[in-house]
Amino acid sequence: MKFWSEPGRRTVLRLFATTLLCAGIYGALSNAEVYAGESADLSEALTESYREVPIPPEFHVEATPLEGPVFADSNGRTLYKWPQHKLRNGYSGEAPDTPACYDEVLIVTAGLMSPYPPGIKLPEIDNRPSCTDLWPPVLASDDAEPVGEWTVTDRKDGTRQWAFDEQPLYTSVRDTQSGDVFGGTRRRYGGDSPALRVPVGPPTQHPPGFAVKATSIGRMLTTNKNESVYAFDGDGDEDSATSTSCKGPCLTNWQPVAAPALARPQGEWSFFERSPGVRQWVFRGKPLYTYILDQGSWSQQGSDVPGWNNVFTQHAPAYPQSFTVQPTLAGNVLADADGKTIYRYTCGEDSADQLGCDHPDDTQVYRLAMCGGGNPERCLQHWPYVIAGDNEVSPNRSWRVVLIDPETGQFAAPGEEGALRVWAYRDRPVYGFGRDKRAGDVNGGGTGEWRGQRNGLKAFWLRDDYMRGIL
Amino acid sequence: MNRIYRVVIGLVVVTALIGSSAQTNDSALRDRAIGYVMTDLFWSVYQTPDAKQECPRGFNDGPREQFEQLYPYHEGLTVEETQLKQEIETWHPSTEPDGFEFLEVEGEFSWGLNLDGEVGPNDFVHPDGSPGIDNEVYRAVGCVIGFRGPDGVEFIFQNKAIVDERYNRMMVELTEVDDLENDDSVTVTVYRGMDRLLTDATGSRVVPGGTQRVDRRWGQNLIRQTEARIVDSVLITEPIGDLIIPWQNLSVPSIQLFRDARFELDLSAERATGLLAGYADVDTWYYQLIRNDSTHHLSNGQISGISLYKALRRLADAYPDPETGENTAISTALDIKMTQVFIADESASK
Repeated sequence: MKFWSEPGRRTVLRLFATTLLCAGIYGALSNAEVYAGESADLSEALTESYREVPIPPEFHVEATPLEGPVFADSNGRTLYKWPQHKLRNGYSGEAPDTPACYDEVLIVTAGLMSPYPPGIKLPEIDNRPSCTDLWPPVLASDDAEPVGEWTVTDRKDGTRQWAFDEQPLYTSVRDTQSGDVFGGTRRRYGGDSPALRVPVGPPTQHPPGFAVKATSIGRMLTTNKNESVYAFDGDGDEDSATSTSCKGPCLTNWQPVAAPALARPQGEWSFFERSPGVRQWVFRGKPLYTYILDQGSWSQQGSDVPGWNNVFTQHAPAYPQSFTVQPTLAGNVLADADGKTIYRYTCGEDSADQLGCDHPDDTQVYRLAMCGGGNPERCLQHWPYVIAGDNEVSPNRSWRVVLIDPETGQFAAPGEEGALRVWAYRDRPVYGFGRDKRAGDVNGGGTGEWRGQRNGLKAFWLRDDYMRGIL
Repeated sequence: MNRIYRVVIGLVVVTALIGSSAQTNDSALRDRAIGYVMTDLFWSVYQTPDAKQECPRGFNDGPREQFEQLYPYHEGLTVEETQLKQEIETWHPSTEPDGFEFLEVEGEFSWGLNLDGEVGPNDFVHPDGSPGIDNEVYRAVGCVIGFRGPDGVEFIFQNKAIVDERYNRMMVELTEVDDLENDDSVTVTVYRGMDRLLTDATGSRVVPGGTQRVDRRWGQNLIRQTEARIVDSVLITEPIGDLIIPWQNLSVPSIQLFRDARFELDLSAERATGLLAGYADVDTWYYQLIRNDSTHHLSNGQISGISLYKALRRLADAYPDPETGENTAISTALDIKMTQVFIADESASK
């Protein structure tokens, strides 16, 4: 059994640095033709502190640029859970301590969605992977002992599997380097999304009354009522602020986040007494506020006021420099150099194991159907890949230049004839949309099955005031 | 004496009532202006109690019924041969026949306006007897139960989103108003608001007197202005060349695009109720529907996107494509309800 003996943040930084120094520790890059590495990001990267929790010796905490601190195995592979998720006609995922991912190759649909019935043959059955082909269970040795929230659960094949908070744990074959979190995300899914796999990690270190939300732009700090938390540029950023410049009329729209009488400083958190008996929380040297005119949870509206910014425990990895940000009717989207909106493709099968179908190594049947009626050439017109410039290189592991065979939609080998150099996010190509004619058009969002949640497109939102698209 | 006393009291009461009425109007008209915020928006569907008049042959099948007819033995088939085939037809629609008879409205009457100023053989008659009503969207959706009140899936949820979603917060402001009952020249400006609606204690009934800030951050492209007149408390606007109505239902920001759009609204100090009519861009109309509502949602209203698209294209009656000659827009009308609101435009005040 191992207990972290030093402050979590320093541990994460150390591990992050080690990770970068040892990039490629367990396997070659899956497909990258050009990769510059992410070392340039490290100097300015904020990393999220976490609360120290007991961990079995074969695991550790890995700092990830996309998802914050996550648990990883001895090879650096991120650990995932598969929480139970209510779908239209039943549940998928795993109930507590009940592994449901095995080596059986499923061949028919489960009918968990609607209106299509169960029992239809799944695509490419001859090549279809099993659940454990894509999600190897994290097996426990015979002498493994429970530690803290870590327990060992029995699988029906007689093996033993590690679980955290009663959720059986897996790794993802999509992760090929330490710090990769390409198998799943902590960002919001729900409603009619597939039962997704979610990275597992230690709790964020913050006082009671706060929360951290995974978004497209970083891990956003909020109150535990999901109110956005803001900081003012004019306030000092010394280690521990003892005053604030937001006084008098400023308080009309800005509400200090009060620290209760029992609050104690911890790590990056402190407070000061702004008036007798009123103490205000300070994070990384910045006094914290909520914005009275915010119209909803996880808002960015307060950041429209000059000098005020949302607060993040860590920012999302930088997108390619050639990309632009375009205003739309709902907020800001990420766009290519010409201002055309960029979309992510999301796909999950209606099978009991809810396997993904949005990665180039997955079956392309669903994507080709939706983008071009099965015709790859039409796909290039309707959902064009976002082509990388000749001189562009990957800025980090999250945004990479990859080679794609446009006929198959799968990764191409270097030098392969007809291959396209395209931008990929989280190891999956991103797309434009043929019916978008002008900068700011977002006609592709919601295109595809289940409003783009199961076999379709979602716009890459960086700011929205209406539908929580950054979540 | 008693009689005189009663007369005096009566005069006081009458005066007070008149004064109160005038005060109500005065309180709504500020600086010769009044604003209204949208609270209800339905595709206008003229319904008779048993639907025998407009849909004598019944209602259209939806995706679920069509799937059962197309693939009665689906267990032996693949996802590509069934589900994805239907989804391809949905997302890459065509005008080719799909093998299902589409039941259009067969009745004579429809809500709506005479958009082209003509009376043609395909026009409806207004229930008040006025001829020349242009509303081909009604002809397409009138026998689709999802568009019919009071429990059609689109009838309920697309309208519910008007109140629930700030993205859909459209407003009209009347300026240069001398008289809310009759005025031969007023200016109408269309904006999007930014704020939640003012409701009564139930939280469900929108009440007059709220305030909305004009959305100039994201909604600048939605602002339109036109001239209008008020006749017997009915606002009649001149057509707006291209009116964009933001209309997201299930968190997919989308729009409807109307050409030659006009409002015809019964006005009071507290409400504005009537029609928004014009020519809807066919593709925008269709994709707004299917992006917000999946095949599952459409199934609940027996709405086959595949069949409906063909009907929309077949019935489109305006704005021919200069190359193909095919009409790209379709006449339509929406029932609209609005509630008085004070419009605060920070940009204008600056």
